[in-house]
Amino acid sequence: MENMQAVNSFVAAYLKKKGFKEAEQLLEDLQKESAPIDFHNDPDLAKFIHHFSQSEDDVARYQDGYSKLRSWTYSSLDLYKHELLRVLYPVFIHSFMDLVAKGHLQEARTFFNAFHEDHELMHSRDLQKLEGVLSQSHLEEMEFARSLRQNKVNIKICQYSYGLLLQYLHKTQSTAMLGVINEHINFQVTSGQPGSISDDTEVVTLIGSCQDAASLINQKEIHWGLLEDSLEERLEKEGGLLSDSEKAEAENKEGDVDDSKKRSVEGGKQGASTKKLKKDKAVNATAKSARPEAKPTPAAPRVKPELTLPVMSTEVEQSILEDLRNRVQLSSVALPSVSFYTFLNTHNGLNCSSISQDGSLVAGGFSDSSLKVWDMAKLGQQAGSSTLQGENDSTSSEHVAGPNGVKRSYTLFQGHSGPVYSATFSPLGDFILSSSADTTIRLWSTKLNANLVCYKGHNYPVWDVQFSPVGHYFASSSHDRTARIWSMDRIQPLRIMAGHLSDVDCVQWHANCNYIATGSSDRTVRLWDVQSGECVRIFIGHRSMILSLAMSPDGRYMASGDEDGTIMMWDLSSGQCVTPLMGHTSCVWSLAFSCEGTVLASGSADCTVKLWDVKTSTKAPKNEEKSGNPNRLRSLKTLATKSSPVYSLRFSRRNLLFAAGVLSKNV
Amino acid sequence: MSNVPKEAIEVIAQSIGITNLSPDVALALAPDVEYRVREIMQEAIKCMRHSRRTVLTTDDVDSALNLRNVEPICGFASRDALRFKKAAGHKDLFYIDDKDVEFKEVLESPLPKAPLDTSVTSHWLAIEGIQPAIPENASIEAPSDGKKAEYKEDGLSVDVKLPIKHVLSRELQLYFDKIVDITMNKSVSILFKQALLSLATDSGLHPLVPYFTCFIADEVARNLNNFPLMFALMRVARSLLQNEHLHIEPYLHQLMPSIITCLVAKRLGNKFTENHWELRNFAAKLVASICKRFGHVYHNLQPRVTRTLLHAFLDPTKTFPQHYGAIQGLAALGPSVVRLLILPNLEAYLQLLEPEIKRHEAWCVYGALLRAAGLCMYDRLKMFPSLLAPPTRPVWKSNNKVATNKRKASTDTLMQQQPPAKKIATESAIGGSNIGVSSMSRPLSNDNMLGREVGGRVSKTSTVLAQAWKEDTDPGNLLASLFELFGESMLSFTPKPELSFFL
Repeated sequence: MENMQAVNSFVAAYLKKKGFKEAEQLLEDLQKESAPIDFHNDPDLAKFIHHFSQSEDDVARYQDGYSKLRSWTYSSLDLYKHELLRVLYPVFIHSFMDLVAKGHLQEARTFFNAFHEDHELMHSRDLQKLEGVLSQSHLEEMEFARSLRQNKVNIKICQYSYGLLLQYLHKTQSTAMLGVINEHINFQVTSGQPGSISDDTEVVTLIGSCQDAASLINQKEIHWGLLEDSLEERLEKEGGLLSDSEKAEAENKEGDVDDSKKRSVEGGKQGASTKKLKKDKAVNATAKSARPEAKPTPAAPRVKPELTLPVMSTEVEQSILEDLRNRVQLSSVALPSVSFYTFLNTHNGLNCSSISQDGSLVAGGFSDSSLKVWDMAKLGQQAGSSTLQGENDSTSSEHVAGPNGVKRSYTLFQGHSGPVYSATFSPLGDFILSSSADTTIRLWSTKLNANLVCYKGHNYPVWDVQFSPVGHYFASSSHDRTARIWSMDRIQPLRIMAGHLSDVDCVQWHANCNYIATGSSDRTVRLWDVQSGECVRIFIGHRSMILSLAMSPDGRYMASGDEDGTIMMWDLSSGQCVTPLMGHTSCVWSLAFSCEGTVLASGSADCTVKLWDVKTSTKAPKNEEKSGNPNRLRSLKTLATKSSPVYSLRFSRRNLLFAAGVLSKNV
Repeated sequence: MSNVPKEAIEVIAQSIGITNLSPDVALALAPDVEYRVREIMQEAIKCMRHSRRTVLTTDDVDSALNLRNVEPICGFASRDALRFKKAAGHKDLFYIDDKDVEFKEVLESPLPKAPLDTSVTSHWLAIEGIQPAIPENASIEAPSDGKKAEYKEDGLSVDVKLPIKHVLSRELQLYFDKIVDITMNKSVSILFKQALLSLATDSGLHPLVPYFTCFIADEVARNLNNFPLMFALMRVARSLLQNEHLHIEPYLHQLMPSIITCLVAKRLGNKFTENHWELRNFAAKLVASICKRFGHVYHNLQPRVTRTLLHAFLDPTKTFPQHYGAIQGLAALGPSVVRLLILPNLEAYLQLLEPEIKRHEAWCVYGALLRAAGLCMYDRLKMFPSLLAPPTRPVWKSNNKVATNKRKASTDTLMQQQPPAKKIATESAIGGSNIGVSSMSRPLSNDNMLGREVGGRVSKTSTVLAQAWKEDTDPGNLLASLFELFGESMLSFTPKPELSFFL
């Protein structure tokens, strides 16, 4: 009551000062009626009062108010502490921006320096951006700051914490803080117990409206099932029909099929050096025995393709079926073999690398605008140990000679006029796409060693390009904040996916070709419907730029890796993070699922390839939280390279893992 | 207020020709400049990430500028990092050291080597999840305890295969701890002696060898001025080396530096009273025994040791104790090493030593040299006892006449061996050089007696000494030269029966 009296007299004094006689009269009348207004719970009035007192010593009030709020929060009960802590960050940045907006630049800086360390852990990237804001014009100019100012932050808070907070604010009369909170925070008060510490992913991205939109979008239906009539399916049927004796027969045929495959389809490029094939087979032999028992989980739902898919020739089909039959079953106890391709003498110029489906071709995109492709089968030949001699007769003539007649070990593709940022092989290895800073994407033929098409459409450097799993279509992502879908036969994009708030850094196709996923510098991953071009999912949770994406072969999960080394596993249907995967200490450049989806491989700038058990995590339902994080993905193995950051990873159809990296001295 | 001070703006304005920039403008520009720079750097970081790098380069900044349609900054294209130098007199002021390069020099200099072309190699990073131990793969480290603990927290069944790790039995751990304790704290007790004995004889200690070598290396590095501990450590090392059951070769590389340290360290112990000479002698013997035992396994072991020691010996900036250690070490390696490495440098070294000879340290070094040379001498004389046949030539008579005191006389007696030496040399027809040498020593002895032409004598003496490494050098010459340098104290090294010829 005393409080109110004080406020009333304050208001009255103010009105008198300003000469608002009518209002003064009114107020007096109201007071006479002795019907005190419940303005404690009336945010409008609180704001009103707040506005009056705004003009005087702003700075000190922000400074004081925040530091008091902070110490109060930190000394609050542990049960409610983490909920209250969530309030601090928005209050902090908005106080800072308020100070800037009011022109107290010096004070804003000291305020920032005094308190930014509290939030460094969670929001370092945002703080980095905000630190540069030094005048009002910057606030308006910077997109990030603008969106922060315009939108309210949603914070989930339990009834009691909310009560505590309000009580505190009123008691201390810290109107500055109250103002900030009223203006920028939208409390979603929930009854019952305070939430657990773990589910504060929402706090990471502050923009409220975006969150609403995201939850709206994430309610859309998606069909993550595999394509109808896929080869895997056919194989399963086939496998079911074949009796054991027939199987044996099929295995006898193996040799013939192998040969024909190599000669015909991939024009001799196919054969990874025989050594590797043999290895593959050897591995197979061990795995095969265990195979009949380990039947894959009940088949995923099937969907119809939305795109017209290219027709596959029967030979190709045969070879793929062959590979599928010989696939090694990977699991947490049967880890894959990893063949590592090391780039030497790149002089810091290698920007990206890509490995063809069978591992026989390796491409590197360089900052000097060139694209170089190595034929690993030939490399083996040069070394002298050639058992493939006979089979490679057709190709051995086309050794590439450099301008001075010096024999190069690679095929040089020149055509871009800027650093090449990404390269991708078509599923059969006969085409390569490369994207560059010169805003173009180029299609090259590995058979003709020539540039076929130049796709122009993006307005800024194209960061990433990926062939669809069936070939023919490809997706690209660019600094111009769009992702585009193309087909090889058109020079214009078929679809433009716009919606990301910053660069689209990486792109990946869904296994059924009906969706693409894009990762962006705005720290979200989005899933887009290829047919309609609509965004169907937004995945929020990463704390830094997303660098790599991978889709599980069953189409249900997606993994994304970011700049900090965090990998997140997402459930596509729910749009929720299944589990974050901690372990890498630096950028995750590449992710790959094994062919049956049991093992996830990640390659990072910290010079390791890590293998993760995917099955444990995906099977354990989220609500089963008895001992902290039982459903966290388990790291199976860390394979350290010799100071070679891992640039790309690829599982062959037979589950041999290929990795490529560059030997660098300064790591 | 901003990180860019307004002075910087003023300087930049001046550099592009704007002289009348008002301070207000500079003040207003400063925050904006910082904002823009930050913006560009954030873009540059994006470019860096897309180039799959973790280090920001000038190229990234250029690409970022390109994205903003700003002219890239020229002149910073070099691949290696810029070197910032500190401006003299300022604490936080740095500048880029930009050297002027002469056009002519650039044009005339030979073309740099063409950089190697990019290539790709392949290897197995893992085979069925196991990393093969090939040079292409990084060496496997044992996972840290923290990681294991993390797994346990998960409550998941962990089937992580740890790298093979040998397990120390409890007894061995206790044994190790005990030995370490005794060595560190009770190195004068009887217990320590027994411990040494145990180390030298026990057959089951092999799993502890890496720990012991590590312990010795660590403690030596840490306790250079704790003399008793150093000595104790060396004793432990010796015991380990004596133990026939231990396979210590793989750990020699860890052990050797510590022992060499004890041999040629600048200071051992911090009191004058502590007899570091003794420690050096001990270490010298240890080195010699190692070289003897493992020399045939590691062919470069002895050469490396001698090179290290010779460096210490020949470096005049090193202190006398260091020289002493080096000499002792070389001497312990055997007379041939002495002949090869010490004797040729003896003359020069003694000259260096002479002005300091009053000091105790120098005297010790002198003694060491004397002993080294003498033992070498002794060895030679032992090998060719026949050389010391009684004098026959008449020339000696004349020499005897000149002789006036005992010392001179003994010189003469020494000289007596020359003719026979010459005779043998010629008889065995080994080579002209020998004859030359022996014929030269005659005027040499005369010089000595007359006390003239010191310089000439020196050069001749050193010629003899320089020849000393040859197997066929006759010890007589050697003895003569050494005698000149050391005086009669040399005689004590001649074997008794031979000596009798002279007396």
